[in-house]
Amino acid sequence: MSFSEDNKFPGLSITHIAHIFNNMNAGIWEYNTVTGNAKWSAGFYHMLGYHPDEIACSYKSFFENLLYYHDKEVFLKAINRPGQTNVPPAHIRLLTRENGYQWFESTSYLYTVDNEPVIYGILKNINRYKLAEFRLDQKYFECSEMGRIAKIGSWEIDAATTKLKLTREIYNIYELQTPVELSVDEVISFFEPKYRPLITQAINDAVKYCKPFDQEVLLRTARNNVIWVRTKGVPVINDYGHCIAVRGVFQDIDVIKKRGLSMQSSINLLDDQNKRLQNFAYIVSHNLRSHAGNLKFMVNLFEETNEEDDQAEIFAHIKTISESFMATMGHLEEIVKIQSEISKGRKTVNFEAIFNNVLSALKADIKTTGATIHNDFSNCPQIDYIPAYLESIFQNFITNALKYKHAERPPVINCHTQKIDEHIYLLFEDNGIGIDLEKYGDQLFGLYKTFHQNQDAKGIGLFMTRNQVEALGGSIHVDSTVNVGTKFTIRLV
Amino acid sequence: MSVAKVPVIVCVIDDDHIFTYGLKKLLEIKGFYTKTIDFGNGKDAIDYLTNPDYVNNLPDIILCDINMPVMDGWEFIQNFEEIKSQTGKKIALYVISSSADAVDIERAKNNPHITDYLLKPLDENYLTEIFKLLQHTKQAQSA
Repeated sequence: MSFSEDNKFPGLSITHIAHIFNNMNAGIWEYNTVTGNAKWSAGFYHMLGYHPDEIACSYKSFFENLLYYHDKEVFLKAINRPGQTNVPPAHIRLLTRENGYQWFESTSYLYTVDNEPVIYGILKNINRYKLAEFRLDQKYFECSEMGRIAKIGSWEIDAATTKLKLTREIYNIYELQTPVELSVDEVISFFEPKYRPLITQAINDAVKYCKPFDQEVLLRTARNNVIWVRTKGVPVINDYGHCIAVRGVFQDIDVIKKRGLSMQSSINLLDDQNKRLQNFAYIVSHNLRSHAGNLKFMVNLFEETNEEDDQAEIFAHIKTISESFMATMGHLEEIVKIQSEISKGRKTVNFEAIFNNVLSALKADIKTTGATIHNDFSNCPQIDYIPAYLESIFQNFITNALKYKHAERPPVINCHTQKIDEHIYLLFEDNGIGIDLEKYGDQLFGLYKTFHQNQDAKGIGLFMTRNQVEALGGSIHVDSTVNVGTKFTIRLV
Repeated sequence: MSVAKVPVIVCVIDDDHIFTYGLKKLLEIKGFYTKTIDFGNGKDAIDYLTNPDYVNNLPDIILCDINMPVMDGWEFIQNFEEIKSQTGKKIALYVISSSADAVDIERAKNNPHITDYLLKPLDENYLTEIFKLLQHTKQAQSA
């Protein structure tokens, strides 16, 4: 904007210009650094609300009475290098007559009049803008604090250019030091591989079909930390219903998510334990009732018959029942012991040593069956485990393999350990009769579940083993083919 | 005593040999004229029932336990339902078990093929009633 030609004011008298200045919402002052004389324009007085009689027009009066003491330094800095290019105007507070201190913008220039250096300056009331700026700063601060505390940032993708805008907090979540410009693909590349197609698809669907999304995914940060994040996007549409941008939030939900996941796994564990307890109660009730029922039955028969032979036979049965009763009680005690053994704590145990102990205990059975047993614990020779459990696990799997050997061949048992990541696995393979997992898979580890007509089958071994393994946080996986063999994969820790 | 007395053929499916023994002895003591065939699991019983050689020796009553190895009671009953019509004979089916679990009892009550669920130890009076009725029917049929 210019109302001058060649930066001159042709046809305008000095009086006229002064008149214009006086009516502008700005004040002009002048200060002669040699004489110390000061001049203030009418606009200067008007802006501050004073009558010229009310206030002395002097540098001292301005500096001491009008200028807020905190802003003196800023003001001095600005007038000590007047006229220099690129000196930003100073923002200062001056005391007005009616409204207390208000914000002004001060610009100053140096020029020479009659060989004497004169500084003149222009003051503009910027109070409204300054307050708005403070409010904005406050809002921005609150907003970024909220994002920082909630670990939540926002992003926007322009649908046409696929240009991506990210707020500072997103870089913090990514653990990127500087907010470098990133493309959508680059941002996605930080997600763990299995989640990348999911997010790509979600963004495409948002752009193409205006479909919002809300996903919880794993992010590998610049510092190689893997954390759970939640990214939620909504399409922004134009009047024609087309997506012009996708706007969303991005939040670090690692703590909450991990808590949720661990809670879920606790629930699953409790659920399993609960089912096992129910099953256990069912079996105990069934078996105790079965023995008690038989005992009552036999006692009644004993009373009803007069035949001596019959009485002898019935009595023999009563003796058998009494033994079965004791055996069942023994099993119950063993099962209860599983829990109490845990309190004894883990020890570093050597697989080979325990395995050999078990082999020598089972020497007779191994010899009768003609079994060949191979072991290789070199991949992981030892483990922190409850020694009694490991012994029982070895014993049960070997006994199992011997008991369910194939009629046409002597048993061959392979046992080895494996360490994968932080987990230790124990593998047992046999060439026995196998088991139809489709039919019996869910019952395989049940108490007193027997599947073959085998006189030795009691249905307690695998039940005990599974309880011991699971009590220490492990799990058992079975693969089996009827007439070929069975493979147990036991994750010990 | 009738001249042409016909035995009631009883089929016991139970892996508990003491129970099977007790049942036979009880029927003997109570003076029933029965012939008992027993099996240690469901599969052996199905094999028998489907074998044409035994078509004239099919049971009048089956007493079947639930918890058994190889083929348990429920599986036997399922198989039995399929072959029941082929046997051409009315066979009463009773479940006998030590399970006092409501789930098992309900399951038996809801199955129309099962006449009743008898909880072990057996109620001797109820058992006597069942056999009296069976013997009576059998006698009437052969007369």
